[in-house]
Amino acid sequence: MIKASLRGLLQRKLRLSLAVFAIVLSVAFLAGSLVLSDTLNARFTALFSTINQNVSVVVAAKDPQAVEPARLTDAQLRALSEVDGVKAVSPDVSAQGVIPFRATDGEPVSADAALGFGVDGNDDPLGLVELREGRWPTAEGEVTITAHTAELAKVKRGEQLKVYLPVLNEPRSFTVVGVAGYSGGRDSLAGEVVVMFQQAFAQQTFYGGTGLYGGASFAAEDGVSDDTLKQRIVEKLPAGFKALTGQESSEEQSAQVGVLFDVFKYILIGFAVVAGVVGIFLIFNTFNIIVAQRTRELALLRALGAGWGQVAGSVLLEALIVSLVGATVGLAAGIGVAAAGEAAITSQVELPAAGLVIAPLTVILAYLLGVVVTLIAAFVPAVRASSVPPVAAMRDVVRPDKSLTALSIVGAVFALPGIGLVLLGAFADLGGTAFLVLLGGAVLVFIGALLLSPLLARPIVRGLGALIGRGSAGNLGVRNAARNPRRTAVTAAAIIIGVTVIGMTATVVQSFKTSLEDIMGDNIGVEVMIQANVTAAPDGRQGFNPKALDQVRAIPGVKEAAAWHFDALGVSVAGQPQAFGIFATDVGQASRMFPFDATDGQIRTLAAQELVLDDNIAETLKLKAGDRTPVVIGGVTRDYTVVGVYQATPIIQGILVGEAAVADFPGPLAFQGFVSLNDGVDAAPVVEKIETIMKDYPGVQVGDRQSYVDQATASYDFLLIAVQILLLVALVIALLGILNTLVLSIVERTRELGLVRAVGLSRSGLVWMVTVESVLITVFGVFLGLALGVGLGAAFTKALMTLEFATVIAIPWLELGQYLLAAVVAGVLAAVIPARMAARLNVLDAISYE
Amino acid sequence: MTTAAPPLTRQRAETSAARASQVWKVYGTGEAQVVALRGVDVELERGRFTAIMGPSGSGKSTLMHCLAGLDSVSRGQVFVGDTEVTGLSDAGLTRLRREKIGFIFQQFNLLPTLTAEENILLPLAIAGRKADPQWFKTVIETVGLGDRLGHRPSQLSGGQQQRVACARALVSRPEVVFADEPTGNLDSRSGAEVLGFLRRSVTEYGQTIVMVTHDAVAASYADRVIFLADGQIVAELTAPTPERVLDTLKSLDRPAPLGTDL
Repeated sequence: MIKASLRGLLQRKLRLSLAVFAIVLSVAFLAGSLVLSDTLNARFTALFSTINQNVSVVVAAKDPQAVEPARLTDAQLRALSEVDGVKAVSPDVSAQGVIPFRATDGEPVSADAALGFGVDGNDDPLGLVELREGRWPTAEGEVTITAHTAELAKVKRGEQLKVYLPVLNEPRSFTVVGVAGYSGGRDSLAGEVVVMFQQAFAQQTFYGGTGLYGGASFAAEDGVSDDTLKQRIVEKLPAGFKALTGQESSEEQSAQVGVLFDVFKYILIGFAVVAGVVGIFLIFNTFNIIVAQRTRELALLRALGAGWGQVAGSVLLEALIVSLVGATVGLAAGIGVAAAGEAAITSQVELPAAGLVIAPLTVILAYLLGVVVTLIAAFVPAVRASSVPPVAAMRDVVRPDKSLTALSIVGAVFALPGIGLVLLGAFADLGGTAFLVLLGGAVLVFIGALLLSPLLARPIVRGLGALIGRGSAGNLGVRNAARNPRRTAVTAAAIIIGVTVIGMTATVVQSFKTSLEDIMGDNIGVEVMIQANVTAAPDGRQGFNPKALDQVRAIPGVKEAAAWHFDALGVSVAGQPQAFGIFATDVGQASRMFPFDATDGQIRTLAAQELVLDDNIAETLKLKAGDRTPVVIGGVTRDYTVVGVYQATPIIQGILVGEAAVADFPGPLAFQGFVSLNDGVDAAPVVEKIETIMKDYPGVQVGDRQSYVDQATASYDFLLIAVQILLLVALVIALLGILNTLVLSIVERTRELGLVRAVGLSRSGLVWMVTVESVLITVFGVFLGLALGVGLGAAFTKALMTLEFATVIAIPWLELGQYLLAAVVAGVLAAVIPARMAARLNVLDAISYE
Repeated sequence: MTTAAPPLTRQRAETSAARASQVWKVYGTGEAQVVALRGVDVELERGRFTAIMGPSGSGKSTLMHCLAGLDSVSRGQVFVGDTEVTGLSDAGLTRLRREKIGFIFQQFNLLPTLTAEENILLPLAIAGRKADPQWFKTVIETVGLGDRLGHRPSQLSGGQQQRVACARALVSRPEVVFADEPTGNLDSRSGAEVLGFLRRSVTEYGQTIVMVTHDAVAASYADRVIFLADGQIVAELTAPTPERVLDTLKSLDRPAPLGTDL
């Protein structure tokens, strides 16, 4: 029995290879994502282990992102150095965002990490950094840089180097007095740039006072273990600090960095999920077809005494073997994907080699995914196989298609409440919960639609068929596509899924973009925008000096220039934390640039301890004009007076205070700048001039209104592209599914094909007939998917509109047209092999086919 | 007399390999209703070779399917040996097929991926049993396949394939072998070989065989021929010759005098 099913499996290997392919895709994405993330983690761990190779214990601030992170004083550092068992100490005086400018063209050096250190003039006691030429900096105006930095900034010892200092928020010039490298002859650890300053200067600049340290690294004497030293240091640790062994520190740091690459991981896992779901349909269809073709053989086995369990088991065994083969190939392919991904990433970021990491968990999950997906998909076909009556071995048993009524009722049971929830989420003002309601509704509608798709297949296919199914061959193709609605629907399911997702995403993105353009175009008097790209939560410590705007105001044609400060760190109003932070600007000036509609009080330039806020927040905080309320900014609590309340719009919302409040902000830097121009002034030359002014502030971007819109929508475009790639994956799988179904149909209808040929249909007519059937199946899928996707996308957009994030529902007709075109091409491609097969049938053989 | 029934059943079971009692088979409902069997009573004796004949649509195949438990009956009872087939669960029917029934099909129905030997042993493999080596040897010798056991069905002629199928039906020594037009797809020489082999297995080994056929020559190999028309048994011959079978069939071709009631 097992032998029989195994031999049969070999005979069906071509057909099964399609099912295998679906599993391979899904497993490859999953395994690729896991191997890639493990491998990168290993590389980072190797990197930080190198940094910490001679470090036994690291002492660092518990909360380095705090407004005032804890600092070690000279005395505290000395006390820790005197702990029994400490061999050497390397104090840490450092800052991020210390960016050198290239000597040749004055542009900031682009690197993944740009660090500044304060050094005390002696060699590194831990032996990581080694001086290669010159000396360590001993005066304020001197720096020593790493060899990699020297190469990128194109400077040599003795030359001048301009360096941007993050806390001072301005560049300064230094003399390069030395060049250093790392032990082992390396120019950099991971492509970072490093500038080392005189220690006192660094302390003053980075920490605001001499004799302060961010932390320290300790090496243990021989015979003292890292853990022992850590225990001893913990006993003397000042408040606000933590101690980690070198090993723990490496792990913590690599985990922090690893998060940056999680986006790749999630995209790949998303692909795995979609490929898996779509694959279920392909595998389901494949096994259904196999069972249908094996009816006689299965009946024979039953007649010879096989129980239904044995028959179902043989189908499941076949599925299991297919899944194991698929998962194995998928795992190998996934490792390939990971290797490619790693190569791509490491071509951008220098990291120590660590080899591909294939964790046991990856292997287990890969096989689990493959097996679970396949067995789910093969379950119904297996049950169907077991219900083949033994008498089918002796005569053709017509097993009439089951009525679609029951399936359709179940579909309606899902779809109707789903539609209700979607409408509720879209039109009722539910706040943030609207999206949960919508999502739940969307899932129900989607499941319902898939269940209803067989019912819809016949009328839709006939309707579409009336358009393309001209002539008798085309007409036959239309009838063939409409003849087995279940099969058509299951075959189209992969396309429905893919197109629904893309249709929904495209609609939301398009609506969002159009809304933004609308708002930017009509309502604001801003022609040029200045925007700081920040690496942490914006709080005034990154950005540009608002004084730079004085130079902007001096540019001919500029009407007004406004600096906006923003603090998203630890702000609370009326006792409630404000996750969306607080803005500080000249509100009177802002009201000339942006549409502020006062609903209460007035919107004007604010004095100290005055604020305005939008109506949504006012309602939440129960505030109205004239109220006094406590506001915490930068750890300082003051009572503010509410001067006005304005209507929230997609472009303007939040709490605003006057420029006087910037003194309380953690930093004095502006986050955004808005520039209005006199009538008839061209923006482009002004943008160029402002760019020159802002050159001293790395990470600050200048652009006209359109570039701002583009930038604001860039992340959505990225999402759209990711989803489009997903669609491609789904389309490829769908194409295979259609191919599979058509081949089956042709085998089943051999006699019929012979007949139509015998009565005079030409070969090309036959090819056209098969192509029409194929295209109709794909177009049916696209049609249903687009209807679902655009409908759900519009519903999501409507909810966004209620929350003032969008103003219009825009349907991306052009892109939808492209997807339709892609589907037609896929349909034609899928028909190539089956059509050739049909055309090559010998008329006589086809008629006498048994 | 309720107390008399069980002993009677048992006594009959000892003599009959299969038995149908007032069996009706109705397909479809309403306008599309077709009555395939109308109250058929038949007993097939143990150790004999019975042929079922009749024109197309007479119900001969339906009768065999019902006797073999492949098809359910609308009314009446069917027994194989002392087991009542009607009313058996799927598991019971599976057990019945494993233990008591062998099949020979018109299309041979061999698995193309298995060798002749594997095909022959398939029913035993399905049931998880081992073949009796002595009996297996006997069967192989009788069907004359000794040198072809390793061949695949595609490497065998039609007659050889059907002989493999016969061996498959016999190897588990079933209570009764049902053969559905076993020579329908064979030329007359191959057909004669297969029929001779079936005849021998009845005469020499006491096998019970029930064969549906429309070939008078094939029917003449049987001990007894039952004629069906319009779902009823209309005639019976013992020790048939092709001529007598043909004569009887001709008499059936006339408008049926029977079956006045629906």
